[in-house]
Amino acid sequence: MNDPAQPRSREGGGSRERGTRHGEGRPPRRPAQGGAADKGPNPQQKARSWFAGVLPTLRLRLVVVFALVALTAAVSASGIAYWLNRDAVLTRTQNAALNDFRKSMEDNAGSLPRRYDCRQLRDAAEKMASTSQNYEVILTGEDARGLICTATSDQDAFTTSDVPAELRNAVAKRRPVDVGNSHPYHLYWQRTSDGGGSEPFLVGGAKMIGEGPTPSGFMRKSLGPERDDLNSLAWSLGIATGLALVGAMLLAQAAATTVLRPVRRLGDAARRLGEGKLDTRLKVSGTDELAELSRTFNKAAESLENRVADLSAREESSRRFVADMSHELRTPMTAISAVTEVLEEEQDNLDPMIAPAVQLVVSETRRLNDLVENLMEVTRFDAGTAKLVLDDVDVADQVTACIDARAWLDAVELDADRGLMVRLDPRRLDVILANLIGNALKHGGSPVRVSVRTEETADGRGELVIEISDRGPGIPEEKLPHVFERFFKASASRPRSEGSGLGLSIAQENAHIHGGSISARNDPSPEGGAVFTLRLPRDTDARRPEEADDADGGTAESGGNGTAGGEDDGRKDGR
Amino acid sequence: MAGVAFLLLIEDDDAVRTALEMGLTRQGHRVVTAASGEDGLKLLREQRPDLIVLDVMLPGIDGFEVCRRIRRTDQLPIILLTARSDDIDVVVGLESGADDYVVKPVQGRVLDARIRAVMRRGERESNDAATFGSLVIDRSAMTVTKNGEDLQLTPTELRLLLELSRRPGQALSRQQLLRLVWEHDYLGDSRLVDACVQRLRAKVEDVPSSPTLIRTVRGVGYRLDAPQ
Repeated sequence: MNDPAQPRSREGGGSRERGTRHGEGRPPRRPAQGGAADKGPNPQQKARSWFAGVLPTLRLRLVVVFALVALTAAVSASGIAYWLNRDAVLTRTQNAALNDFRKSMEDNAGSLPRRYDCRQLRDAAEKMASTSQNYEVILTGEDARGLICTATSDQDAFTTSDVPAELRNAVAKRRPVDVGNSHPYHLYWQRTSDGGGSEPFLVGGAKMIGEGPTPSGFMRKSLGPERDDLNSLAWSLGIATGLALVGAMLLAQAAATTVLRPVRRLGDAARRLGEGKLDTRLKVSGTDELAELSRTFNKAAESLENRVADLSAREESSRRFVADMSHELRTPMTAISAVTEVLEEEQDNLDPMIAPAVQLVVSETRRLNDLVENLMEVTRFDAGTAKLVLDDVDVADQVTACIDARAWLDAVELDADRGLMVRLDPRRLDVILANLIGNALKHGGSPVRVSVRTEETADGRGELVIEISDRGPGIPEEKLPHVFERFFKASASRPRSEGSGLGLSIAQENAHIHGGSISARNDPSPEGGAVFTLRLPRDTDARRPEEADDADGGTAESGGNGTAGGEDDGRKDGR
Repeated sequence: MAGVAFLLLIEDDDAVRTALEMGLTRQGHRVVTAASGEDGLKLLREQRPDLIVLDVMLPGIDGFEVCRRIRRTDQLPIILLTARSDDIDVVVGLESGADDYVVKPVQGRVLDARIRAVMRRGERESNDAATFGSLVIDRSAMTVTKNGEDLQLTPTELRLLLELSRRPGQALSRQQLLRLVWEHDYLGDSRLVDACVQRLRAKVEDVPSSPTLIRTVRGVGYRLDAPQ
């Protein structure tokens, strides 16, 4: 007789749905220097540089990419599984509850007398609620006296205010019966949550079809157990996703290691190559891209080695040529020098027409002699055969003697204390001083100031500092870095007769072989002028083989004289 | 014999030999020349020169070998003429017994100065004697005896011993000894002193490797001690 309406599913506004975003990625961040992006590289390049900026290492990139892939896969799989499950669970629960509700309503509300009172209605509601489906019920209808009566199965749990108004309206609404709609009333349902939003409910309602004021029934069923089931499912899926993520990252680490180990080997090899170890080669195994890269590296290293060997062979042969040539020049130079001295002494007795010619030969021979001497010196430095002949000398004596020997005593102001003993090669110190002072006299004019002092160094051994300064115009700033280069002349127009062009270079080499240095600068004070600073270690670290042999015991002897007792030239006292 | 010397010049290069002979002759020396080591050794025996100027690079036996052969029998001064100033050559030359060396291209007056300095080393200066243990230095006779036996010293070795014995117990730096004995300027090669001290020790010390007379003073030079 009374047909409850067919369930027509409808999900309502109150229902709470879990939302999961799939494929969550980082939003592309623009590089900080946004202004340049407009005219700058194409988007692909920008993306690459952004990628490189955020993920600086290949390992990190691999890990992140693997993690993203794993996350996407796991999240979409679990998302789909969750949604399908949720749908299935809810639909089943819902259908069971609604079908039960309909049947129970048919059984109980349908069996009400045509005219019923509130008490009967309440009995019916309580009977309806007492099914295994465990829902609460409200029945409303007009009682025999025409008053609206509302009966609730559980007064505290479920009241009319818990039924959404739109559901109530939908249930109460009468629809015209036609071909597509066989009944004037239907069963409606909606998922809601209680006020706090924590407990989900299924609320359904139907109106008995029949004559007169038929009652409407509403039911509310808690979906808490289903929610709990779904939540635990979600947790499991989340944990599975996390595990997949961790697994993916571990895999990425492993993959990165297998890729990066050859890359690091390649990097090490390239660095060794850069350090000049040109025989560096990689072991090539396999046929993959990295093996191909290693092969290419080996080929490049080989051709580089050949090229460098070729170049150094050429340089070596040209150096050898200069060395041999200057060597060969010596023998004839010896003969010529010996003879020119004879000529020089005879100059006064010569024909006045010939005397200038002889003078020219004599002076040019001397120049040539110096040049050959300097060339020999330079080739010795180049070949690395230059050796130190060390001795303990009084620096002030040495400087004075150097100046005196060249008749520069009037042109040089010397500021040096006697008694400063330094271990060095006196001949090389003389070469350095002669070149520096000679240079200062030539370009700065007299007086040249030479000051000698010692300075403490970090290693505590101290160094000898000799400053040679002139009052000349100084050296143009842009030429300063080049003054120690061979055949460098500060002024292109300088007459060729002023030195060999090797002097400062030889001075510098002589300082280097002591482990010292020479630096050039311009004096910023008003007097100006160029300042050359020679720095030599106080105790040049080299031992003389002769001394090593004749170390003659006698511990009492060390420091016996006191002048240089603290020095240690590497020999051992006592036996 | 001061100043003017009778020299034997051994040099294979004709031009250098001629030029040096010319230069040295003009300085007042009497010069005989040889073009090879073998000729030089023969001339040495025949002519008994005061001093030998010896080129290192010679065909046949080289200068070092010539030097060693001369030292077996004679203590006359030898000045090496080396075209190679590579340090190892100098050391080998000094070890083979040379008194001094000059590097080519040599200036005639430098060579002359060295010759005169070497010649002066044989001159006697005072008439006294000094005794250091078993070593007796007779400055009037210019002889040194050890345990009564005459020691064969070159003039340079003798002069070095004399300079050291004049200041017993006082350390002399290598540069001082170079000025006193070799009459070198401030740029003297200290290896000359070391090499000569080695040779001298080999002759005067009981155990040359553990000297008791000529002692090394570290960081200074050498001194002559009377053994306690």
